[in-house]
Amino acid sequence: MNYAYYPGCSAKGSSADYEKSTQAVCGMLDMNLVDIRDWNCCGSTPAHAVNTELSAALCARNLDIAAQQGVQKLLTSCPSCLSNLRHAAKRMEDPAFHARVDELLDNPTALKFPAVTSVMQGMAAHCDADEIGRHVRRNLGALSLAPYYGCLMSRPAEIMDFGDPENPTLMESLLGACGAKVLEFPLKTSCCGASYGIPEREMTARLSARILQLATDMEADAIIVACPLCQMNLDLRQKQAANSADARFNMPVLYFTQIMGLAFGLSGDDLGLDKLRVGADGLLLKIEQAASAQRGSAEGGKA
Amino acid sequence: MRIGVFICHCGSNIAATVDCAKAAEIAKSFPDVVYAADTMYTCAEPGQAAIEAAIHEHKLDGVVVASCSPRMHEATFRRTVERAGLNRYMFEMANIREHVSWIGKDKEANTNKTAELVKMAVAKLRNNSPLTAKTFDVTKKVLVIGGGVAGIQAALDCAEGGVPVILVERESTIGGKMAKLDKTFPTVDCSACILGPKMVDVAQHPNITLYAYSEVEEVSGYVGNFSVKIRRRASYVDWEKCTGCGACSEKCPSKKTPDAFNEFTGLTTAINIPFPQAIPKKAVINAAHCRQLTKGKCGVCAKTCPTGAIDYAMQDAFVTEEVGCIVAATGYELMDWTVYQEYGGGVWPDVITSLQYERLLSASGPTGGHIVRPSDGREPQTIVFIQCVGSRDKSIGRPYCSGFCCMYTAKQTILTKDHLPWSRSYVFYMDIRAPGKMYDEFTRRAVEEYGVEYIRGRVSAIYPDGQGRYVVMGADTLLGEQVEIKADMVVLAVGIEAARGAPGLAEKLRISYDAYGFYMESHVKLKPVETNTAGVFLAGVCQGAKDIPASVAQGSAAAAKVLALFARDKLENDPQTAQVDIRRCVGCGKCIRCCPFGAIKDSEIRGENKAQVIETVCQGCGLCTATCPQGAIQLAHATDNQILAEVNALCR
Amino acid sequence: MPVMQGKELRIVGFLCNWCSYGGADTAGVARAEQPTDLRIIRVPCSGRVDPLFIVKALLNGADGVLVSGCHPRDCHYSAGNFYARRRLEVLKRFLPVIGIDDARFEYTWVSAAEGQRWQQVVTSFTERVHALGAAPRIEDAKPFLKVADMALKPLRTLGTGKNAPLEKLKEAIKAKLPELECVIGWQKGYDDIHTTPLFMKSAEEVDKLVWGPLNVVNTANYLSQFKGKKVGIVVKGCDSRSVVELLQENLISREAVTIFAMPCEGTLDVARVNEKLGRYTIVNAADSDGAGLLVTVDGKKHSLAMEELAQGKCRCCTHPSAVLTDVLVGDAPQAPAAAPTPPELALLDSMGLEERRGFWRGQMERCLRCYACRNACPMCVCRDHCVSDARDPHWMTQEADVVQKLFFQTIHALHLAGRCTGCGECQRACPVGIPILALRQQTARAVEELFGGYKPGFDPAAVPPLLGYEVEEQNIRETRI
Repeated sequence: MNYAYYPGCSAKGSSADYEKSTQAVCGMLDMNLVDIRDWNCCGSTPAHAVNTELSAALCARNLDIAAQQGVQKLLTSCPSCLSNLRHAAKRMEDPAFHARVDELLDNPTALKFPAVTSVMQGMAAHCDADEIGRHVRRNLGALSLAPYYGCLMSRPAEIMDFGDPENPTLMESLLGACGAKVLEFPLKTSCCGASYGIPEREMTARLSARILQLATDMEADAIIVACPLCQMNLDLRQKQAANSADARFNMPVLYFTQIMGLAFGLSGDDLGLDKLRVGADGLLLKIEQAASAQRGSAEGGKA
Repeated sequence: MRIGVFICHCGSNIAATVDCAKAAEIAKSFPDVVYAADTMYTCAEPGQAAIEAAIHEHKLDGVVVASCSPRMHEATFRRTVERAGLNRYMFEMANIREHVSWIGKDKEANTNKTAELVKMAVAKLRNNSPLTAKTFDVTKKVLVIGGGVAGIQAALDCAEGGVPVILVERESTIGGKMAKLDKTFPTVDCSACILGPKMVDVAQHPNITLYAYSEVEEVSGYVGNFSVKIRRRASYVDWEKCTGCGACSEKCPSKKTPDAFNEFTGLTTAINIPFPQAIPKKAVINAAHCRQLTKGKCGVCAKTCPTGAIDYAMQDAFVTEEVGCIVAATGYELMDWTVYQEYGGGVWPDVITSLQYERLLSASGPTGGHIVRPSDGREPQTIVFIQCVGSRDKSIGRPYCSGFCCMYTAKQTILTKDHLPWSRSYVFYMDIRAPGKMYDEFTRRAVEEYGVEYIRGRVSAIYPDGQGRYVVMGADTLLGEQVEIKADMVVLAVGIEAARGAPGLAEKLRISYDAYGFYMESHVKLKPVETNTAGVFLAGVCQGAKDIPASVAQGSAAAAKVLALFARDKLENDPQTAQVDIRRCVGCGKCIRCCPFGAIKDSEIRGENKAQVIETVCQGCGLCTATCPQGAIQLAHATDNQILAEVNALCR
Repeated sequence: MPVMQGKELRIVGFLCNWCSYGGADTAGVARAEQPTDLRIIRVPCSGRVDPLFIVKALLNGADGVLVSGCHPRDCHYSAGNFYARRRLEVLKRFLPVIGIDDARFEYTWVSAAEGQRWQQVVTSFTERVHALGAAPRIEDAKPFLKVADMALKPLRTLGTGKNAPLEKLKEAIKAKLPELECVIGWQKGYDDIHTTPLFMKSAEEVDKLVWGPLNVVNTANYLSQFKGKKVGIVVKGCDSRSVVELLQENLISREAVTIFAMPCEGTLDVARVNEKLGRYTIVNAADSDGAGLLVTVDGKKHSLAMEELAQGKCRCCTHPSAVLTDVLVGDAPQAPAAAPTPPELALLDSMGLEERRGFWRGQMERCLRCYACRNACPMCVCRDHCVSDARDPHWMTQEADVVQKLFFQTIHALHLAGRCTGCGECQRACPVGIPILALRQQTARAVEELFGGYKPGFDPAAVPPLLGYEVEEQNIRETRI
């Protein structure tokens, strides 16, 4: 089944592994993600912090392209893109705002834009837990995973439409469907500090450290994320965070698509695991050990 | 008709922007107006005397006064014309002060408007007819709904005043929320010790009939003559025989019954008496947890009971009482705080409500008065109190202040320090609201003498740190800093809402309630105890957040209203009621369906169905008149013809 | 007394005594300056405001009408404003159909404490009315007579009921007749292309019963006269909905009425049949070919095809079978699901406000004020006590002018709001052929849109929308000021 898809710039750079694993997992689930043509950057954090109309213009152009293509529903994997696209769509409901943006774009844009939703929600709408379970080739039962949505995915609630803004549970159900042990992770929607990564490094380190510390204390094997910025921040800057908290962390931070891909039996190459700063080898080893232990006991049982 | 018009200057209040003399001159041209004058202060003694004189001299049979709002002086002038021998309803008022002179400075427009308003009043008056009130008997007995401290006070004061009282309580014991409290602010005296004697008085007073474990099923009638059907819920114990010895409860094998009285902080037995001082001290079986009632085998309590009081086959029973007044004192409930997902949404065991904490503090509570964590039974070292959880929070639709939480939180921190001297308490607050007598001093004591750390700010999240404690993240808005506290226990001062089922009861009583189920008083300032239904009064938190002293005061106030009403043997109705022209009525019943007061009934007149107004019940809203297609039912003093006359005076 | 020329417009306010009148007082006490146009009529409750007061004012020269009551839930009488909200919202949607701009009427809620809000309400409403200018009067509009296209395609194939099991129906009636005072049906009229009501008391009379597209009269119209007696009634689908309404209004009892029904294949628009036939002396023969009547009139043959000459309501009919029956004869046909906008209403929809005023002026000039519309209406239960004839209450004068006549039509339409089943008898009975059904259709449309698709005449136990309320109305967004 084909789905219109807005990859966003990170997918082509810093989160190439997210993109790779998303394509791989969606492909297995018979979700064919088709890029809308000639898309541009959503403007992300810098644009909307400076000027809402310019920021909306960047998004509106993408939405308009999708509308012209006759798209009903547009998927995107990055929460920041999702947030910007949805905010812009909301603001464009105001005719005066719409008119000003049209002027910026030199073109009247569509009066009705397609709905934008996350790949995660798209996946859940596309297939149920049983369907996901049918693709599982590796047993993740040995892993305790801390689901972490970041601050953007579910907020503001009235725009993002992602369940309870304080306690979303969609990722839990996907991971659960893959057979993993999912922790009740209390900081699942706390900010990792990513957007202050440059001006306030200390603060970012402190916020990230809190998340990493709790996951470590809860004996999680990995933190599972859905946001390129969170991933980069928790993974790449893990050492900075550790320094600020005077602690040591060794916490793999994987995209939910990467861990799902592992469950589906895909290889590390298929999922871009080589891009991780804190490697996933430990996870793979644990999965393998558990599998061989099970095989051992199964054989033992036979004998 | 011979109508007199009086246009008041109200000193300069009106005359400054209205040409009163000119308006009076114009008024003389209106139909049936035989006399018109402008007067300085119409409501003053000489002004009223002038009206009386004019009535006599010009043989007036109707009077129009153009002055202030009728909400101000209509009653005054009605008495004036009555003194001169006219029926009080042969009077109309034009509001030329609040609606004319005070809201515009254009004298020409104001004078024209004044004349038009007078013209409308004259047009209406020409369609007025004399009305007289009717009298009826009063049943001097009162129903008090709710046996919390407000209801107890109302019942006792009425009973002391010589009025028989029916007290209906939903739970198996009276005492309400106050019975669950350990100590009370600002004196830190024992709640049970001050409430207990009052509860005993209720049980012993010869004028009080107590129906515990009962609910109001139906209410009909009107002030002075209500009929109330009461459902006595099946307790499965014959209370005539039960002595409250508690032997049943000791032997009951179903020991894992949730304990509602202890706010579910502990467990109890399926048959039990909620607490030792319960009034009435009678056992009740919790049917959902009783083995005999759920599985059909057990019967231990029946075997144990020395008086043979257990009756597993008991059914709800109904009694009907006739009363003249009703006092609603249904109290409150804590709102469902689990909407706060950021506080764990009820998942973390050591994040509890203040009322649960109260039970932990209480010597008769599940822990015998020891403060321990529900999760592991350890004594907490650090306790964080969070105020306004579900109060003053628009984001969850609770914009109002729950009133007493600031004070009991201060009390709980003080008691905590008494119980656990080495503990540390933190309070997150928005504002400290301590306006009562000795209240501010009390909160100061918590801060200054007991070393409680008050932090002005909201808590954004609570989460377990993975090592058995909880991280409380919040803001200190005075320092402009973020705060993180590692706590062993968190106590939430959960906001209040109206008691479960309050709107349903309001519908039965035909009184208004707000969006949160709190009952509406008749006037926010001047009628805080009355409702818009005559004979129904309010006491306690059912009307809005109140602490114990205020609840007790309102209980007494409601009793005073009841006693004042019962001081008369007969009541008079307001004659501005609906009247049916039975020739025009086709008996379709549309008016009966709409009437908010059940004041219209179907009656058979010469073999035909006709609407009949119960004049004592009719409150005079006129909804029926606007509903009846053939205009057969007309609200006296606001008839179709009277309003049409006003419309026609303006639009022709 | 005229309004002050060039300065003021005529704005009438209806304020409840407890909240809004107090709010206006509060504004006065606070010396909150306001425009001087508004004249306030004090009523006990917004629920007392009969929407007809507002129409009366607007038809007689008011430029704007404002109603204000207590906020929802704050009503001094518990629920008066909830009822008012529904009725006033229906009115708001009705006004444009008679050519009155609905912006000239507003209702809102102001509490006794909200003096500032009152000032703002008065100011903005007065400004709004001034922006609209003096209200154009219907009697000054240029007559604009336009005829509805009645020949829209029927939702289903219409027929003449030629193969309906009439004999079986007669047997069924005869079987029940001994228990009944009489059974209401149709018989041949003064010639072969007209029928008249039949009141069957004997088996011989039952044999006079006819069935076909000439059975235009709504038999339910006669039912309430038999209150207290056991009667039978033969109904078409549309007639049965009127029976349901009468039951709902308690004007007949279910036990006392026996409903005989046969599925209807449509009825003829008698006015258009007459138009087609022109003046004639005698009907020589009449027969049916299933798709229409073949008649010979004054020796000349005519074909009265259903497709061409069926009533507008039959073209849009979604319930050819009775919705409530005791004895059903014949197979119920497949009923079409959704109806299009009826032709009369579609005509009004196609016009602007000014054209509508011209339309109604022209039509009302033709009105004879004969009240045939009222007398034919099965839901006009007031019968001899219609307010149009009364002096107490004195809603109407006896002047035969356009305003009085249109006001009567409005009274009828608003009294029927939530009750009218669209049987069209009012329009059929009109001797001069005024499409007055459009007014009832507009109220029906408003009720349906506002109250969850409610259609009258289906459920005898339903609470009619204007005799009920919801605390939170799904489809009403009230505070516009």
